Amino acid sequence: MMKKILIALIGLGILAGCAESSDSASLVAPSGTGIGGSLARFTILGDFLYTVDNTRLVTIDISEPEAPEPVDETVVTQGVETIFPLKDHLLLGTQRGLFIYRVQSNGVPAYVSSYEHIVSCDPVVANENYAYVTLRAAGCREAAAGAANTLDIVNIQNIEDPQLVNSFAMESPYGLGLDGQTLFVCEGINGLRVFDLSSPEAPQEIKYLSDINAVDVIPLQGTLLVVGPDRLLQLDYTDLDNITVLSEITIGA
Amino acid sequence: MRRAYFIFVLFAVSLSACYEPLTEIPEETVGLAPVYAEGEWQTIESGPPQGIVELNKIYYKDSLIFVGEAQRGIHVIDNRDPAQPEPIAFISITGNSDIAIKGNVLFANNLSDLVALDISDVRNVSVISRTPGVFPASGLELPAGYTGFFECPDPNMGSIVGWSEKNLIRPECWR
Repeated sequence: MMKKILIALIGLGILAGCAESSDSASLVAPSGTGIGGSLARFTILGDFLYTVDNTRLVTIDISEPEAPEPVDETVVTQGVETIFPLKDHLLLGTQRGLFIYRVQSNGVPAYVSSYEHIVSCDPVVANENYAYVTLRAAGCREAAAGAANTLDIVNIQNIEDPQLVNSFAMESPYGLGLDGQTLFVCEGINGLRVFDLSSPEAPQEIKYLSDINAVDVIPLQGTLLVVGPDRLLQLDYTDLDNITVLSEITIGA
Repeated sequence: MRRAYFIFVLFAVSLSACYEPLTEIPEETVGLAPVYAEGEWQTIESGPPQGIVELNKIYYKDSLIFVGEAQRGIHVIDNRDPAQPEPIAFISITGNSDIAIKGNVLFANNLSDLVALDISDVRNVSVISRTPGVFPASGLELPAGYTGFFECPDPNMGSIVGWSEKNLIRPECWR
């Protein structure tokens, strides 16, 4: 009898295993963190979740998901918009500029430096050497008189002293995404621009997709997730000379 | 209602020189919007996939795209084949604006609370923990100290349980 039950249980186990492997239910790996867009306001580094709201950077210890513990709250400036993780640094896009914090060994961020600019709306992405910041005056309530629409390139090789090295006129830049030598910049209703960063301080525009309404992007090694107000689009950019639409999900009932 | 806010704005402007008078309404900006009661706001659960109505932000992990539905929750899309993305679930989280995922734990704001969800099965998520009051945007009143645009409350929508961040199109209320 026991043996029969055992065999039945093993049989069930095999069946369940098969069902699971062909199903998408357990796609989420138990390790690693995901990737947000450049407009994200949450990010995870190690055992800590960092969130920004209008003025604050909040640190939450998530080493035990059963009992997350807020451990720090830092007032950054007025108009904090985005947070971008770069190794052990946090780059905050704010309406006054780029604010850089270093995560200390206890997880709490300490202010390092800032690159301040005329008040406008601005997300940021970066690699170890350069931060790419878009400044948008168009449709930005807080934009000061004289604010422009630009893509600013900030040298952060010396992270304690970020230096503006170049600035390009844009139309209405929103989110942006970086994949190695390629930079994607969303221009809202004015399309999506693709830059080659072989000369990191002088990006060359290699593609302009004017008919895409793009607000933010996530580059995934050849596939670009594009968020627009009206659709979620995926582009294949493995060949930058021939960017093709893989799929789109339209929005609205 | 609107007039009351207008008078309030005038009052605020007259009080504080830091406030610049409102000269133009932006086409689009980030601000707060009221979250209306739809059952218990603490209830978080997976359901069948739904159409996207108001796209917020996206987050990617392990071939899954997590698509924010402004203030209501997260669509989960199986993207193992980017040419044929397949919506597989909707996780309802009232007042949600942002998420981040570590391992198979998803952290999200549920109005003012931080919630940690076990998403090892996205079709059947469970709440691991709830940390109240991490985000100061709950309650009927606009959060204290908030200045900026917000979506004008609509009395026909029922009672307000809190406020959350949202992309606003031509918002007409501000303080």
